[in-house]
Amino acid sequence: MRRRDFAFLIPGAAMAQRSPVAAGQDPILKAMQDEMARAKPLGVVGGQPIYYLECALDDAQSFRATASLGALFSSNTSAFRVPRVGMRIGEKKFDNSNYMFSEVFMGTRFDPDQFPLDNNPTAMRQVYWLAIDRAYKTALEAIGRKRAALRNITQAEELPDFSDAPPVKLIAPVPAWSVDEDAWKSRITRLSKVFAVYPEIYTSSVDFESSRDVYYFANTEGSELRYTELLAFVRVRANGQAPDGMRVRDHAMFFASDVSKLPGEAAMEAEIRKCAETLKALSKAPVGDSYSGPVLFEAEASAQLFSDLIGSQASLFRKPVAEPGRQMNIPTGEFEGRLNSRVLPSGFTVVDDPTQKEYKGRPLMGHYPVDLEGVTPTPVVLVEKGTFKNYLSTRVPTRETKTSNGHARLPGSFGGYVSFSSNLFVKSEESMPAAGMKKKLIEMIQQRNKPYGLLVRKLDFPSTAAFDELRSMMAGLSSRPAPMPLQVYRVYPDGREELVRGLRFRGLNVRALKDILAVGDDEAQFDYMANGAPFSIVGGGNYVFGCTTVAPSILFEDLELERPQMELPKLPVVPPPPMTA
Amino acid sequence: MSYAQGVFPRILMVLPLVAFSLAAQPKSIQILDEELNRNYSALKKADPAPYFLAYQMIEQEASAVTATLGTLQSSTTGKSRSLEVSVRVGEPKLDNYRQIRGDRPQFSAAISMPLEDEPNAIRRRLWLETDRVFRSAAQRLINIKTNQQVKLEGDDKSGDFSSAPPVVKFETVAPLKFDKRIWEERARKWSAYFANKPEVLSSNVIVVGQREVKTLVNTEGTKLHHGRLYARILISARGKAGDGMNLTASETFEAEDMSRLPDEKTVQAAVEKVYQKLAALLKSPLAEPYTGPAILSGKAAGVFFHEIFGHRIEGHRQKDESEGQTFTKMVGQKILPDFLSVKMDPTLHRLANTDLYGWYGFDDEGVEARPVSVVKAGVLENFLLSRSPINGFPVSNGHGRKQAGAEVVARQSNLVVESSKSVTNAELRKALIEEVKKQNKPYGLYFEEVTSGFTITSRRGLQAFSVAPVMVYKVFADGRPDQLVRGSDIVGTPLTSFSKIALTSNETTVFNGYCGAESGQVPVSAASPALLVSEIEISLRERSQERPPYLERPPGPTISAGGLK
Repeated sequence: MRRRDFAFLIPGAAMAQRSPVAAGQDPILKAMQDEMARAKPLGVVGGQPIYYLECALDDAQSFRATASLGALFSSNTSAFRVPRVGMRIGEKKFDNSNYMFSEVFMGTRFDPDQFPLDNNPTAMRQVYWLAIDRAYKTALEAIGRKRAALRNITQAEELPDFSDAPPVKLIAPVPAWSVDEDAWKSRITRLSKVFAVYPEIYTSSVDFESSRDVYYFANTEGSELRYTELLAFVRVRANGQAPDGMRVRDHAMFFASDVSKLPGEAAMEAEIRKCAETLKALSKAPVGDSYSGPVLFEAEASAQLFSDLIGSQASLFRKPVAEPGRQMNIPTGEFEGRLNSRVLPSGFTVVDDPTQKEYKGRPLMGHYPVDLEGVTPTPVVLVEKGTFKNYLSTRVPTRETKTSNGHARLPGSFGGYVSFSSNLFVKSEESMPAAGMKKKLIEMIQQRNKPYGLLVRKLDFPSTAAFDELRSMMAGLSSRPAPMPLQVYRVYPDGREELVRGLRFRGLNVRALKDILAVGDDEAQFDYMANGAPFSIVGGGNYVFGCTTVAPSILFEDLELERPQMELPKLPVVPPPPMTA
Repeated sequence: MSYAQGVFPRILMVLPLVAFSLAAQPKSIQILDEELNRNYSALKKADPAPYFLAYQMIEQEASAVTATLGTLQSSTTGKSRSLEVSVRVGEPKLDNYRQIRGDRPQFSAAISMPLEDEPNAIRRRLWLETDRVFRSAAQRLINIKTNQQVKLEGDDKSGDFSSAPPVVKFETVAPLKFDKRIWEERARKWSAYFANKPEVLSSNVIVVGQREVKTLVNTEGTKLHHGRLYARILISARGKAGDGMNLTASETFEAEDMSRLPDEKTVQAAVEKVYQKLAALLKSPLAEPYTGPAILSGKAAGVFFHEIFGHRIEGHRQKDESEGQTFTKMVGQKILPDFLSVKMDPTLHRLANTDLYGWYGFDDEGVEARPVSVVKAGVLENFLLSRSPINGFPVSNGHGRKQAGAEVVARQSNLVVESSKSVTNAELRKALIEEVKKQNKPYGLYFEEVTSGFTITSRRGLQAFSVAPVMVYKVFADGRPDQLVRGSDIVGTPLTSFSKIALTSNETTVFNGYCGAESGQVPVSAASPALLVSEIEISLRERSQERPPYLERPPGPTISAGGLK
């Protein structure tokens, strides 16, 4: 029944499911190519040749639902197609991109942001016709203004605006996609009931989403792509308030590319119960004191930390040409200027490898056959024996990356794409038995006469903080902060662990990684969804993509955690309503 | 002469178009009411204490289909529930809603609620949201009291909240019947008309069906469950004239439910009309700045009154010291020609063979809707009132409205202009030509259609308005055929403009749409006979100078089969 609804909604996609279309016959790619071919004379009219043109389309179908305390809050099925056009005029050495107003269009937009759901050639070509026209007008204005701006400023160095890349053809069959909506609605409703026996938890929610995104891409260099990304997840969030008013929270997330690969209900329920128990304990836990000393990250927290410090930062961002006197303050990446410098202890090797589909039998979320620019990815050794060796790159050259290594994962600004990690493998040759890591921590605190050491079990990454909370945390900081810790324990000399709340890292950034003293022989595979926002904060970006980080537990010789000075909200005036069975 | 059509709908009104029936108390009311009382009795002990608490839950169900050039762009169905908490601390004479120098408070936020009446989930949300709103209400009251000590009082000393009788009523709202398959197919078919019209750069046919159910409880004992259906078809097409001017033509249909929308043929004709209007506009010459006599069609006059008059009689503007207060002190005085009357009637469902969009049974404060005679025979009688009283008008007349998530202010409903000096349309045209000759002008103007307008009511701005006409014709004194012109705006100031109305037609037409103001978007109607004005001013509209697309439109399906390279 539901499948038929879908078939009715999107006859084109349904047809594609029945019989994989051969290369060159896909109606969407054909519409793109027809309009790109027709666009050639534009260069003559406008006096600036188009040397590169690309058309892309995300064809997304999804089902999402949210439940809380045993009640369904929302459930939506959506199908939409988002077209995109990229155009370069001039030449690779100097074109309309990499300029602060590269994508600013002052005129009226006639091309719709919704692409036809039926594969009707006239209607599809109409969209690309108008989008290309707008792109050309935008490009003409941008290249003119960019030239004018450069008459008055001198660039630190002149880099070409675009690099070469061999054309790629990949027309993969579009896999069938379906989701049992009713089953998932009742499953998450049941799962959300776990919190009904925890009156100290103020708000909680269980979200489910399953989606299929078919990516279509064609450019004037002859690339032709059609491939599919599937993604399914269950995301659990819970918030409470400690007696002193401090807000506390925890989350649990489950990912799979295929919805059938998500953990079973019983396994998820156990994990959610653990989350609820932790939050309950957290709301009663003592507030941590400021601390400076050895800190142990368990493997999962370590993987979260590497995801943020290396995964999101291992690219160089090309600063666009700015108007004189209108400098743009855009961070260029934490590893800028660190090429061939020591960033980790010498035993460490860090590799980003989108070509791997699974690791030790478990699927990796960061695999993709070709990136968003149509470049076949290659594994990139980011760190070799502790030294930073390579950046993740796109076709936009930077000082240190002349060509793409196939990591364009996110549409960007100023005419380019944003590179991001995929499957990040963090390994060390000099590891010790993981079971001994805690003992090592205890030895260190005893040597230093400290009453306790700290153990980090979980970070707030991807962050489930409210935007306000994140904003206030980042306000006034001069350097990029690390994610907030969610679960921090004091470890006493006798091995006892005590949960504490309210601590934040101070000065934990790329520089701190050199202070890793010991590495466990364990490893955790951490799957997550990135979106380009700080800490990949949930809801921070419309464009999401899967990533995986595999990392061992790590022990820092010296890290600082502080108890930030801030006003705490008061407890609700009225006591909580009673929960009924 | 009394206005014949105005009476007719009142008879219709007692034949409800949506099947209402009295139902037992819904479970949602019970949950909301219990939590309301639990919170209220506990908060009573706080300082400052609330004297009023209200919960409104709005359930919205909507289906929408969008098509272009014979294909579907989107087809969505959704259902959601949101909650708004209203807390008043202090006392009715002075509470947290007091407006100080244009600073309009915003306490409520539409937070999402479960789709089912599940007590645990609902109660938790109510509890936390009540706490949030109470805290910000209490904080604002303290600020207001401080502010009062340092600032002079305004002219209005009427207090912040008026009493209203509690209402207990549970109505059943008919289900939304939106046959997706049928509407998708029709939207595809209608939109396909533009597929071989190269001058149309973008076009849409949108069909929307919507159901809204409001559940309201307050600490005065009101328990209300009511709602309505909406149905709408929007057809629009955009193009660009050779000189760069962007042009839009549209037609819409509004009805009380899907079954009352016009038949396929009528919509198809409207699609064709949209194209004809756009094609004519694209070829038409530019308008010139002009002052002289004109006719506003009934729809155009409706929008004219809505903007220029309707917004200025909204109650809250009469007590806001930052407002222009054009009419505040003119009650009992003549503000319109004596042959004109204006009423605001949310109880009207239908007028001039058209379903009205601005009706409701109860406003967003739970006050029962009622007709309000605003101007009688040219004399200002009344303002539109929410439960925020103003000098001389101590109680609500059921016009407290808002969009989910906003705070209530007084808003318009169904505006109806009635005339006792009316002639047939043909005679009105004759009168225009005579006026043109009398003023020695080469031509007069006929405003057939206007899309929207805006008006500045703030004291800081000019007390002016601007209305954007779409279809404007020059009507020549020498009998030449009318000529369509493009690119003009009607501009003026309210009091002067009203004094120029000379005569009306005897045929009323209706404009349905959404009105946006401080409390968000609300559905409204404006109905009026055509007006002859002895003087109106038009100015040139700002226009785009950007080129039309460089390339021709891609070939249509029949041509592409011929062998595109």
